[in-house]
Amino acid sequence: MAEKLGVYICSGCDIGKALDMAPLLEAVTKGKLAGICPVVKQNPVLCSPDAIAEIEADIAANGLDGVVVCACSPRVKWDIFKFGQGVQVERVNLREQCVWSFREDEKVPGLLPLMAKDYIKMGVMKLSKSRIPAPEFPETFKTIMVLGGGMTGLTAALEAAKLGKDVVLVEKAATLGGKAATMYKTFPMSHPYLKAEDTGVDALIAEVTSNAKIKVLTSAEFVSLEGAPGLYSATINAGGEQKFDIGAVVLATGWVPGDTSFLAPMGYGSIKNVVTAAEFEAMAKAGSIVRPSDGKAPASVAFLTDVSLCKVAEAEEPCETPAAAPAEGEEAPAYPDKENAKHLAYSSELTSLVALKQAGYVREKLGDALAFVLYDHMMVPGINERYYKSAQDDAGIMLSKATITKVTEDADGGVIVAAKDTLLGADVEIKADLVVLPTAIVPVTAHEPTMNLQYRQGPGFPDLELFDGFVDSNYVCFPYETRRTGVYAAGCVRQPMTMATAKEDAAGAVLKAVQCIGSANRGMAVHPRSGDISFPVFNFQRCTQCKRCTEECPFGALDDDEKGTPKPNPTRCRRCGTCMGACPERVISFDNYNVDQIGSMIKEVYVPDDMVAGGPRVIVLVCENDAYPALDMAAFRGKSWSPFVRFVPVRCLGSVNAIWVADAVSKGVDGVIMLGCKYGPDYQCHFVKGSELCSRRKTNIAESLGRLGVEAERVEQYEVSIDEYDKIPGIIERFMTEVITKFGPNPFKGY
Amino acid sequence: MSNTVRVQPDLKFVQELQQVGGESLKKCYQCATCSVVCPLSPPDGPYPRKEMVWAQWGLKDKLVNDIDIWLCHNCGTCSDLCPRGAKPGDLLAALRNMAYRSLAKPAIIGTWMSSSKGFPLLMLIPAAIYMLIWILRAGVLGTAFPLFITDGHGLKVAADGVIIFGGLFPGDYFIDPIFGAVFVFMVLAFAGGIATMLKGFEGMPKTFIVGRGKEPSFLCCLIETLKVEVAQHSRFQNCGNEEKDVQRFTGHLFVFYAFIALMIVTSVVAVGHWFGAFFLQHIMGLEGGLAGLIAWAGHTPMPLWSPVKLLANAGAVALIYGLMKLTSRRTALDSAKSTSNWYDWYLLTVIWGIALTGIGSEIFRLVGQKMLAYPTYYLHLIFVFMMLAYLPWSKLGHVVYRTVALAYARKIGRLPMGEI
Repeated sequence: MAEKLGVYICSGCDIGKALDMAPLLEAVTKGKLAGICPVVKQNPVLCSPDAIAEIEADIAANGLDGVVVCACSPRVKWDIFKFGQGVQVERVNLREQCVWSFREDEKVPGLLPLMAKDYIKMGVMKLSKSRIPAPEFPETFKTIMVLGGGMTGLTAALEAAKLGKDVVLVEKAATLGGKAATMYKTFPMSHPYLKAEDTGVDALIAEVTSNAKIKVLTSAEFVSLEGAPGLYSATINAGGEQKFDIGAVVLATGWVPGDTSFLAPMGYGSIKNVVTAAEFEAMAKAGSIVRPSDGKAPASVAFLTDVSLCKVAEAEEPCETPAAAPAEGEEAPAYPDKENAKHLAYSSELTSLVALKQAGYVREKLGDALAFVLYDHMMVPGINERYYKSAQDDAGIMLSKATITKVTEDADGGVIVAAKDTLLGADVEIKADLVVLPTAIVPVTAHEPTMNLQYRQGPGFPDLELFDGFVDSNYVCFPYETRRTGVYAAGCVRQPMTMATAKEDAAGAVLKAVQCIGSANRGMAVHPRSGDISFPVFNFQRCTQCKRCTEECPFGALDDDEKGTPKPNPTRCRRCGTCMGACPERVISFDNYNVDQIGSMIKEVYVPDDMVAGGPRVIVLVCENDAYPALDMAAFRGKSWSPFVRFVPVRCLGSVNAIWVADAVSKGVDGVIMLGCKYGPDYQCHFVKGSELCSRRKTNIAESLGRLGVEAERVEQYEVSIDEYDKIPGIIERFMTEVITKFGPNPFKGY
Repeated sequence: MSNTVRVQPDLKFVQELQQVGGESLKKCYQCATCSVVCPLSPPDGPYPRKEMVWAQWGLKDKLVNDIDIWLCHNCGTCSDLCPRGAKPGDLLAALRNMAYRSLAKPAIIGTWMSSSKGFPLLMLIPAAIYMLIWILRAGVLGTAFPLFITDGHGLKVAADGVIIFGGLFPGDYFIDPIFGAVFVFMVLAFAGGIATMLKGFEGMPKTFIVGRGKEPSFLCCLIETLKVEVAQHSRFQNCGNEEKDVQRFTGHLFVFYAFIALMIVTSVVAVGHWFGAFFLQHIMGLEGGLAGLIAWAGHTPMPLWSPVKLLANAGAVALIYGLMKLTSRRTALDSAKSTSNWYDWYLLTVIWGIALTGIGSEIFRLVGQKMLAYPTYYLHLIFVFMMLAYLPWSKLGHVVYRTVALAYARKIGRLPMGEI
């Protein structure tokens, strides 16, 4: 607990112009906080070297263990206000949240000094309730396990070995190479990016098998993964079960070709000379491209990448197969299959490139045969545009946008493709000797849990139906991240991608695995709170074994024993505090972030007894990840809002404990806003489930308030993404008019 | 469905198009910038975007019967602004080249005309004909480089005479019958070509124009076209307004009117000689008066002050000026944007040949340099023959094909009647 604090108020950047310093200093020196604040000062430019030197001198002279910097946002100059390991720093955001965004209220003028005082006192209180965490430093295993021996897995193994790590490479099949080994050629991977080239997988296999740091296990069944990052025990059956000590895992189990029944509307299965790209590739690899009907070389091949006909099937398909109630003694289907027609669409980039590549095979292997490519989108992002151009330059490769309307068989075995919306200017029919339909890339995780994690929350990754089986939890911000710390996905199991991308992906995931092992070793979070040394502490004496924390942790960090007592695994934890928000008994806390601390901060807000004279008060619990920066941006761009709101930053809305809302309301606060990330299928929550859990808990809180005679509407949650700074004044304005004006003062006010 | 079209891609046709000037056609990715920036393209079914994709797919039927290739005046704006360097302007030029090559019969001339390889052969034909005449006449006259004095109605070789081209290459027995035959041959070839072209256009959709009564007659459209497009070059003028466009427009206008002037001169000579001197004086036995004037007007060589000679010389100067404009524009073309093909160079070469040898002949004749004058005149005859005899298969064929196509485009409503 920080007990000797230095409080420094900066008067630079408009702060001094808007605020009189003396009363602000007095707010600390003449109150209950005076005892823990031996140094209280102001400075014209607190970030100047002179001021920093002065603070450092004060720390040395007074033995300060905490510094409250009342200046700009904590998101700026964080590298300047650092005073060594033993000194905690709290930033009070006077610039962005008070001065720059202050809007005078006509009825209650002159609130700015009051607001600044509130924030300063909140900052001091917050720091006084904060300890420096002392994490354990487990001795971690450094070995990286790579699951899958295809292009991605092989590359990952080599990359990890290059970084000096020992690697265990696990391949289910008898030989290495994966899908790459079944392909004739792949898209260009090097300058000038014009011609399909050999996959190079054989050379890669040779390199891997001859590398002393890589242990290769083929025909290997991955039985289970127990423990936590840095401390895993993997069980593998490769002619007998073996256990391996593992630090982190790269998941590169790749993909399987999609179910061809989705292609039935395009003639697959009913027309002999309609094949899939996977089958066509196999023919090319085997050496001769022939028509299945008569074994003759086709004179024309049509590649259809528009799959809109198959979308009919998608609409008919139920979103989720309702699992039949399991009969007594029979196990429920452990892993609902996640494949559907959408995988064709997800694979668009690949199906475009594959069509171009295979059109090239036609030109290469079949003399003067023609290749037609009828596409909905020609998706060739980045450098692959060059490949598209070079394919297009071949006079025998003819391309048009088209919506395929019908695929029928001609009497002579040819296939007639009817299409509309083509570039040719009419509804057209094209006859081809052979038609090739795209092959969907379906991640293996759509069909099976794959990881066999011995976690309380189950063997696989949760909520993969949101991604139709692709193992990814936040692809926009955190590639490779899965919902299980320590397991990093790369390659087509994560997202359909080219081999060139898969190689880079492998390298990226390996770096993440290395970071994970290193962070675990230093007692730090890997991400998104990289370097955070705090961790949840459980007061087991008061735990009622309700299991909410173990069930709600988005990352499965908590296991439990038979009775339901949570068993923390600090290296799995991402320090979001969702467990703390979940706990009804408030037994979970972080040294530097806890229920009492935030509750005490809220209590520092001055709430006038008379709402008409003093104005209402609203507490805004702000997610640090997106909403808080959005507030800063709004202030920076000259937005302003009601002077009656007070912002309280939280790690994630998932960490919001109901007691904070209850405390605020009982203190007379007129409303509580939770401002956090978007949730639902397209969530932007850094901790995946935090804002969603908060919204669910909010409903319960509002109901409880209702029972006390407080309107449920006084507690509201809003979603805001980092770029929606312009929405913030509107959100606050709406709450102030629709809720506060409408319902009037909190009935508990004054008690 | 009734309006579903079976597409028959033709790889050979794509490759042929690439050979005759459309080599970049595969680079098009159908953004339609070309159709948007074209100052002439009609809003309904605009060119050249659709021609690009038809060409990529080798849709021969669509392209050989496409009237729009004649609507284009090849300003090159589309090619300049094409983000892929696909040169749509060049493709339309290539399609016109293909039309020159295949519309008129015999097709073998089209083949010879399609590349520089055929040039020596095409030149050899008139060169041989006129060399034969030269050798025969040299035998008769006793010299290959004769000087003449007038002897009554005839000419006599004399050492102190003057150069008279008609003395060495007599018009009555050699020049005029040969060119007459060539002219008939050309007209017949064009007639066949026009018939083929119009048959192809039958498939073109007719544009329904609100407020327009019945379809105008072809003659009416032809007159309109001659008045607006040919005489005034009005669409040509609308075809871009950058410096190079102005250069091209001016050059073309000068060359066009120079040819008109030279055509008038040729007509005067022909009428004077065959109608005045031959028919009126020789056959009818009329002397003096109008018959004398007509015969005199067409009598060559003319005195330099003759209005006909003045017109001829003015035409020659205009021709040279126009040619310089056109040639300098063409040599300054950015090859990344648009390129010149053999058809372009063939025509420029032949017209330059006609202009320079024509002027050369006159100058060498006037200064009495018989050793230069006769060979130069010989070359002049070759170039004129090449222009006339091969006209339906050369780029100059557009004089006829484009005129007919534009008239037809008016008839079916693809182009509006009246000024543009």
